[in-house]
Amino acid sequence: MENWALPEFNLLLCDRCGICVERCPAGAAEMGTDGPFIARPADCTYCALCESVCARHAISCWYEVVWGTDT
Amino acid sequence: METIAQALRRILFFADCSEDALARTARVAHARTYAAGETVILEGYPCQAAYFIAEGNVRVSRLSLGGREQVLAQLGPGQAFNTVPAFQAHGMNHATVQALTPAILYAIPAADLRRLVGECPQLALAVLHDFAERLDHLTNLVEDLSLHTVRGRLARFLLEHAEADAARRFTQEEIAARLGTVRDMVGRTLRAFASAGLLRMDRQRIVLLDREGLE
Repeated sequence: MENWALPEFNLLLCDRCGICVERCPAGAAEMGTDGPFIARPADCTYCALCESVCARHAISCWYEVVWGTDT
Repeated sequence: METIAQALRRILFFADCSEDALARTARVAHARTYAAGETVILEGYPCQAAYFIAEGNVRVSRLSLGGREQVLAQLGPGQAFNTVPAFQAHGMNHATVQALTPAILYAIPAADLRRLVGECPQLALAVLHDFAERLDHLTNLVEDLSLHTVRGRLARFLLEHAEADAARRFTQEEIAARLGTVRDMVGRTLRAFASAGLLRMDRQRIVLLDREGLE
């Protein structure tokens, strides 16, 4: 799973509300002892829903803008 | 151990300053470190100092009365912020600045900066150059916000950043703040663009497919 990007969790901003875990459509996120994390990376579709529901802006799904190779 | 003057010399803003000007500046500059996410200054508070970035990146933003955040700029090493209110009587911070990454900044008290500009012509020129670039950037931003729809602004944003020399990453929330809209709108518009075949949403990449369609 080389270069398999995953959402980044900033545990300093996170308040452990658990909304991201509850709302993950793929069931890939879990709440650990330190905070939420992607427990099943292969299931994560990078839909970025976790980022959108986090009230603390503690989750980041990053994108780089590139040209397709056939353009 | 590097002196403050040596550290300032590495900042582009001071690149053309004489040794004497650097030494005078170093006497009043204070090194400050910030963790990622830490707030440096708050919009609307009295201006205490101008800041010069030695390491790291910061985000400059303002809040509307309705609580919507508008990102004005993202700055990195060699750049400066809060220089404008430093030259205003009773200057107030024009924006909130937050460290995006761990950052090392040099703060020069506003009164000292005003005095130094009078004493050092190279520093005065550096301030003028900084103001000119800032004015140019904000003029373009005003035009963009007032004349173009979110779809148009997003298309332009995507085209500009696909062409940029240095690859940068953005979250949808960051894109929304830069475009003066909300994250949901960016997400909907990206999906609309994808449905129209203008781009493809890959893992960690927005892949542009149709230049003509986006233009």
